[in-house]
Amino acid sequence: MSFTWTRAHRAELDALKTRYTSPKALVLPALWKVQEQEGFLPLEGIEAVAELTGYSKAEVYGVATFYTMFRLQPQGRYTLQVCKTLSCALNGQGTILDHLKERLGIEVGETTPDGRFTLTQVECLGSCGTAPVMQVNDTLHEHLTPESVDTLLNTLMDKGGSL
Amino acid sequence: MSTPSVTITVDGAPIEVNPERMLLPELLDKGFSIPHFCYQESLGSDGNCRMCMVEIAGKKRPQIACDTPIVTGMEIRTRGESIEKVRRDILELELINHPVDCPICDQAGECSLQDYYMEYGLYQGKVDKKEKHPFDKHIDLGANVMHDQERCVLCQRCVRFCRDVTHTDELCVAGRGDRSYITTVPGEKLHNNYAMNIVDLCPVGALTSKDFRFQQRVWFLATSPSVCHGCAKGCAIDIDHAKSKYHDDTIYRFRPRKNPEINGEFICDAGRLSYKETQTNLLKTCHIRKETLPEAEALDRWRAILTEDEYPIVVLADANLYTEELAALQAFARTLHARLYAPLEAYHDPAFGDDWLKSPQRAANSEGVKRLGIATEMPTINDNTLVINVNHPDGHRTANRIDLLTHQPDEDTGRVPARLTLPIAPWVQSSGHLINEDGIKQYCEQVLRRNDPIPTLIERLKQVTDEEYDKHFDNRETAS
Repeated sequence: MSFTWTRAHRAELDALKTRYTSPKALVLPALWKVQEQEGFLPLEGIEAVAELTGYSKAEVYGVATFYTMFRLQPQGRYTLQVCKTLSCALNGQGTILDHLKERLGIEVGETTPDGRFTLTQVECLGSCGTAPVMQVNDTLHEHLTPESVDTLLNTLMDKGGSL
Repeated sequence: MSTPSVTITVDGAPIEVNPERMLLPELLDKGFSIPHFCYQESLGSDGNCRMCMVEIAGKKRPQIACDTPIVTGMEIRTRGESIEKVRRDILELELINHPVDCPICDQAGECSLQDYYMEYGLYQGKVDKKEKHPFDKHIDLGANVMHDQERCVLCQRCVRFCRDVTHTDELCVAGRGDRSYITTVPGEKLHNNYAMNIVDLCPVGALTSKDFRFQQRVWFLATSPSVCHGCAKGCAIDIDHAKSKYHDDTIYRFRPRKNPEINGEFICDAGRLSYKETQTNLLKTCHIRKETLPEAEALDRWRAILTEDEYPIVVLADANLYTEELAALQAFARTLHARLYAPLEAYHDPAFGDDWLKSPQRAANSEGVKRLGIATEMPTINDNTLVINVNHPDGHRTANRIDLLTHQPDEDTGRVPARLTLPIAPWVQSSGHLINEDGIKQYCEQVLRRNDPIPTLIERLKQVTDEEYDKHFDNRETAS
């Protein structure tokens, strides 16, 4: 597998570069671009970031493993991020999570065999007023109930074929 | 220029210190014992381990000494109940996920963590062993380095060595908090020629040498200061050896010995592992051509050949011999009216050299050879020349030859068998001086005292230059 920046990402990073005195400042934005492109951080992407920033590959790997939102393994098409912080926990996050596990047949951190869904738990998504919540890729879903979760899963499956 | 100095008070007594350095190195140099993991003389301070806390009058909290500049008149306390409590608390944090495997850990006996625990810790652990977070215990990092992630205190000495000293950057800290661990990038290994130094740098048992682990307990080892014979750089080393029950005196490892003029506190991996050559495949018996013969008969033969008179004699000396041995060979050659050479071309190995501690000149005493005025070119040798080859790598070309060898000759190289072959002691069973390529003279102690000693070169030469034979050679001189 090889990694090449998309032209748009390359241009964005070049523009960002002019803002800082050192290209090392680009390590986080560049890792984000890799993840956006590939869905996770392949080693080839880490190498490309090292080359861009002047850090060693090992240093970039250290950064990538430090932040929990960077993923080092391929993810499903939809990453379900269930909030596990206080408000959601009090408002039935456990029921939602159990329901998802049962529907998808996977545990937290796993991906369905068809590569469609990855189930994760995250800290506060900043929407305590509408708990319990879950973020699917970049979209927030609020006031979850087992029924609304079913509807959501069905919609997502329709978009990409059957489960 | 003299070193600047100011007065500070440490534990109630005034001392003179250099204000241009940080507090910790000055205090350590002055003999204070302050626990520390991440500070290391060659790597400097990193400030990550928080172990070197001292109390400073006027400061609310204890400070890390490794990153505190010296100020005139400052009052430091390195002992006392409150500072010892701080150290105990920090140790407790370091040990949360540390396994209790000292009995099988190779670092036991030379482990900072173990020492500090005995000195400052000794608390009743609050963490149930079942609650400890397990990490991987044997990760092969490459270059003979094994990593036990559970034992690591994350001082990052190894990371900094690869980053700041070898500039190869193989290691990093991955993850965060109490799930942090040292690793290479997945799929990659350590790939520098000095990697095993991180085993010495590691203050705990997290990095151990694949070569040394499980071989010997460190408290059974005796240490002899010596010099690596791997090349003309002459890195100072300590040789650890032991004479354990049912075994003869055996070398277990070479470690760098501090010498700021030559190697700092590091050595290359090739040099470190070259201890094996000093005790394997040694020549122990005498031979005529390929037949073994008893030592006594070989001695008669050794004397007989030398008194045969009819040959011009050439002595070829190994440029790894100690200066004393080379000087003895010079005297021996004079007695015999022989010509002495130590051809250096055979030791030239450009592939081995680098711009740090590895010299392309592989002979340990090439400079000693030059200073004694010994010829360094290969002489032309005729069929009737008698060659006395003292362990020279290129000395086996002609048949009319006596070999004095440390190791069993390699039969595969198309070597012509010698008229007589006698064993001599390898360098670890002898002693003397070496002069490195920069002209620095160092002494090597005799390391091994074996139950089955092999005569040293000087002892071998004495066997044929005792009085009777001296007389013979004197007569020859008068006759010629």
